[in-house]
Amino acid sequence: MQSVTAAVVATEGLTHNYGEVRALDRVSLEIPPGITGLVGANGAGKTTLLRILLGLIHPTAGRAIVMGHDAMTDPLSVRSRSGYMPENNCLPKDQTAADFVAYAAELAGLPKSEARQRASETLFLVGLEEERFRFLGDFSTGMAQRVKLAQAIVHGPELVLLDEPNSGLDPVGREQMLDLIRRLGAFGINVIFSSHVLSDIEETCQSVVLLDGGHLVRSGPVEGLGDTSNITIELIGHVEPFIAELRRHGLDPTAHDQQVVLANATDEVFDLVRDTTAALGLGILRMTPATRSLEDEFLTRSGGE
Amino acid sequence: MSNTVIYDRGYRSYGGVRKGQSSIRWAIARDGIRRVLGLRRKARRKIFPWTLLSIGLMMAVVVIGFHFAAGSIGGGFEESLPSYANLFDVYSWVSLLFIAITGPELLGPDRSQGVLNVYFSRPMRVTDYLGGKLLAFLVVAGAIYVVPQLLLHIGLAALSDQGFLGYLGSHLDILWKVPAVTLGFLALNGGVLAIISSYVDRTGIAAASYIGVLTAGGGLAGALAQAGFPGSRFLSLLALADHPRYVRDWIFDVDLLRYTPEVHGFAPWVSAVVIAVVAVGGGWWTVRRYRRLA
Repeated sequence: MQSVTAAVVATEGLTHNYGEVRALDRVSLEIPPGITGLVGANGAGKTTLLRILLGLIHPTAGRAIVMGHDAMTDPLSVRSRSGYMPENNCLPKDQTAADFVAYAAELAGLPKSEARQRASETLFLVGLEEERFRFLGDFSTGMAQRVKLAQAIVHGPELVLLDEPNSGLDPVGREQMLDLIRRLGAFGINVIFSSHVLSDIEETCQSVVLLDGGHLVRSGPVEGLGDTSNITIELIGHVEPFIAELRRHGLDPTAHDQQVVLANATDEVFDLVRDTTAALGLGILRMTPATRSLEDEFLTRSGGE
Repeated sequence: MSNTVIYDRGYRSYGGVRKGQSSIRWAIARDGIRRVLGLRRKARRKIFPWTLLSIGLMMAVVVIGFHFAAGSIGGGFEESLPSYANLFDVYSWVSLLFIAITGPELLGPDRSQGVLNVYFSRPMRVTDYLGGKLLAFLVVAGAIYVVPQLLLHIGLAALSDQGFLGYLGSHLDILWKVPAVTLGFLALNGGVLAIISSYVDRTGIAAASYIGVLTAGGGLAGALAQAGFPGSRFLSLLALADHPRYVRDWIFDVDLLRYTPEVHGFAPWVSAVVIAVVAVGGGWWTVRRYRRLA
């Protein structure tokens, strides 16, 4: 892992058991700077991974390096440079948002006056202005999520770990939260956020980590994730003879109405498509690369339906 | 056309001073004191602590009033009036209730509201968190013992025939005796409360459990100690509430009551040891518990 100094997070053989249950199984990955999505179903190991990265729990095996610090042996250095937004409720009902966020900043070592000033600025940034003097017990879910985000960034972290930040939000609130996360990325803060909603990851992240049942399914850039060597051809005319001719040449096309999808489209396949359509008197309305959504990728790689 | 310009302040990364663990412990202590006293909280959160603190002070004022009246009557009558040692008992129910609420309030809500997830994501250890809470407990619970005593001390000095400064000069021992006795009460109560509060989330239930352990425990210990089986007298040491009072009498060199350990032949230093064991044991247990929670 010495070669991955550019990585914000690097893990090697990370394994964690809760009694008999294996929550993470030999996860080795490197997360580059920027916004990274952590995707997986319930029980995939997302929260366990985030808590290990913060040094809150010790893995059964393996190690994790976060911003150059070993999360097991030097957790305080990791935590002083990172922020964490838990999924569950974590706000004291009897405190105002301003007091709580300032207190959270003080717990990261900021002087009292600086903590109060930054609390106001950060709450303003997340869209809570006059509301910051209200008690947290009176906050809606959307407002509470914003306070949770504010406490995670108030102390100027280089890395923020967000555990299901869109949990419980309506579509408008969700979009606003994604916009805030994108702004954090624009401010130069590295973000790792977990989500069930794959479209959120696709819209927001530069890279993605897919977990399934504690196993690493995929880790890499979101861009290019959906790229395949497949092509989709939309034909004018009868599709069946075209399909039969391609099969006679050993290809395995699939058809939906007038659309035909071909895998592993090489130059020879393109030539065959051209010649076959000309021989059968068909017209090609459109021929495009076939793309796969993150959801397709996740379902395929995790063995889902 | 207006010259007004709207700035988006955006986000400032922080490159300033980051203080160390002691500063974090102070921040936790300050927050704990505010919570227990209801400061920067809704008005109804202030009612209970400030009422009890006021009652404690009123009791000290009443005792000072008795001394004033007795001094006017003359005849050495004031010798039989309650003084420093007795004052701990005069408002014992106030301090019991106050401490019963203070301990659980410092620990329970952080767990039940899930706030520990945020706190332990900060650069602090379990011992920093609990150290801050301990500091808050010592300050707030210590105040309920020390402040009425301080008021009594000033009141008696003001009434003294020796003059104010003369009285203070001739009673310098009070300056260590009251803090020492207070420490005994806080150590024992703190140890018991730490264990209860680290398991019971709800403040009311934790407070009731603590009061139950102290009151019912005393009666049970007395009964078991008298059962007569070999070593049964050691069970008298389970009368936890008696230990700080027994040590108090030892320190003030008075004999206000017969305590269960005393009845079964234990010297006051044994009670001091029991207090230390409960305090250290409670602290160790709580750290162990929170290492699992963090």
